[in-house]
Amino acid sequence: MLAICKREFIQSFKGFKSIIVIAIFLLTAYYSKSFADLLLSLNIDFTSEEKQIIQTIGISFLIMFFGMLFVMGLSHDTINRETHERTIRFLVTRTSRTSIIVGKFLGISLFWFACLLASFVIISIFVHDFDFIVLFQSTSLAVYYSALTVLLSVLIPKPGFTMFLSVVLGIAFPIFNGWLVLTTNNWVSWLKYIFPFYYLDEVNGMFLVVFLLAAVFVAIAILAFRRREC
Amino acid sequence: MLAIETKQLSKSFWKNNVVKQIDLQVEKGEILGFLGRNGAGKSTFINMLTGILPPSSGSYALLGVQGPNNAVKKEIGVMPDYSSLYGSMTALKHLRYLSEVSGKKVSQSRAMDVLQLVGLEAHANKKAGKFSFGMKKKLAIAQAIVHDPQLIFLDEPTSGLDAESVIQIHRLIQRLHQQGKTIFMTSHNLDEVEKICSRIAIMKDGKIRRVGTMDELRAYYQSTITVTMKHAPIAATDLATLEPWLKQVGAQLEMEASHFTIQVESEQKIAEIIRALGSYKIDIYRVDVDEPSLEEIFLEE
Repeated sequence: MLAICKREFIQSFKGFKSIIVIAIFLLTAYYSKSFADLLLSLNIDFTSEEKQIIQTIGISFLIMFFGMLFVMGLSHDTINRETHERTIRFLVTRTSRTSIIVGKFLGISLFWFACLLASFVIISIFVHDFDFIVLFQSTSLAVYYSALTVLLSVLIPKPGFTMFLSVVLGIAFPIFNGWLVLTTNNWVSWLKYIFPFYYLDEVNGMFLVVFLLAAVFVAIAILAFRRREC
Repeated sequence: MLAIETKQLSKSFWKNNVVKQIDLQVEKGEILGFLGRNGAGKSTFINMLTGILPPSSGSYALLGVQGPNNAVKKEIGVMPDYSSLYGSMTALKHLRYLSEVSGKKVSQSRAMDVLQLVGLEAHANKKAGKFSFGMKKKLAIAQAIVHDPQLIFLDEPTSGLDAESVIQIHRLIQRLHQQGKTIFMTSHNLDEVEKICSRIAIMKDGKIRRVGTMDELRAYYQSTITVTMKHAPIAATDLATLEPWLKQVGAQLEMEASHFTIQVESEQKIAEIIRALGSYKIDIYRVDVDEPSLEEIFLEE
């Protein structure tokens, strides 16, 4: 599992797409202080809690509204590419299918945690403060997206289709999730409980539920993968 | 101790029974050749044993451990059929990464030694994406043995390789056999199986039709022995009595001036004929005994 996790983590850094995504995060972090100062100078009536986290608003916005697009864009084919090219046979004959899924998931999640951590470290250099809660909230989102990406990569055998889906879901997911949080329609509002934004709205430890949802997705992915012919 | 034991192992895809209730036992240290035409179910059978496919019914044990069991995977090396490799990874990294996945990470020197065994040492740092078909095949074999497994599955290890590489792989398989490894290999090359394997299993329509050593298979498929004897010229008077006697001893006698061919039921009859020719003071220059080749046995199945 560790070997698969390590490889997935390192592979996530390779390639043009990864460099672009990392650059977006680091640049956003670099200009966060300037952006926060600009917002504060606009005479907007921020609450004291909002003022506390305003430095991280750029990164939070990025991960909330583009997180799905970025995570799926980079890792949509983490399992189905290996199945398609039959390299997965080297793995399933050596280790358990659970180890493969968990290893892949941890590798992707660690990559995003590293990106977020680097961004928050850059922000902290400028604002002399480190917001652990927002870091963990952002990480919970990244972990949720990573788990969903792994699940889709197990369920959908064609890498071409998951690539298409990464664009569609990347755009539709935050819009739909945002609407779910705000809607009063009882027929669909219950869905907000299986989407992450609802839990991030709370300032307490509710974001931990997002990690739980991610664990459920990974468990489903493992069950599906165990039945899958490689 | 048994390296492989299957009981009523079966695999169905929808209503299509690809492997039908196979009972097979492979002793430790054996090289078992698995023969069968395309679509006979050989690869499906291997894929079940190696965890690539879940069986539909039946059970199997590898190295005495009931499968599927992840703990035993450390002691198993698999070269699957039609395997593509990680194109962006070098040969050396392939071996180190895959051995680490097995839970038995090997040193760089061990990985280099294995690459040398398959003749890829000069390409250790070349990316697998740039390898030829034959080189990929060799690397696939190398990854199967790099972690020093006890049981090795090789699915058509020499298909598509040039003659020199085939000899190299044969030597490697024999070397692994000498080290006490159990090898389960499929092949379309009947000469190769006949030469290398200690036992042979013939599969047809999802069932194993026959298992045994080459001698056992020959004995089963051959009810008569064809003998050709080259001899000194026989006098006409001797021939007049010898020919009817030979017709009584065997069947389908074909007499020529310098040799004759006859079919006999047992090896004792050959000795009887030699003694008879001796009593006529006829010198025997050569005796050829025609045994069925694996190809003939295979075609008969």
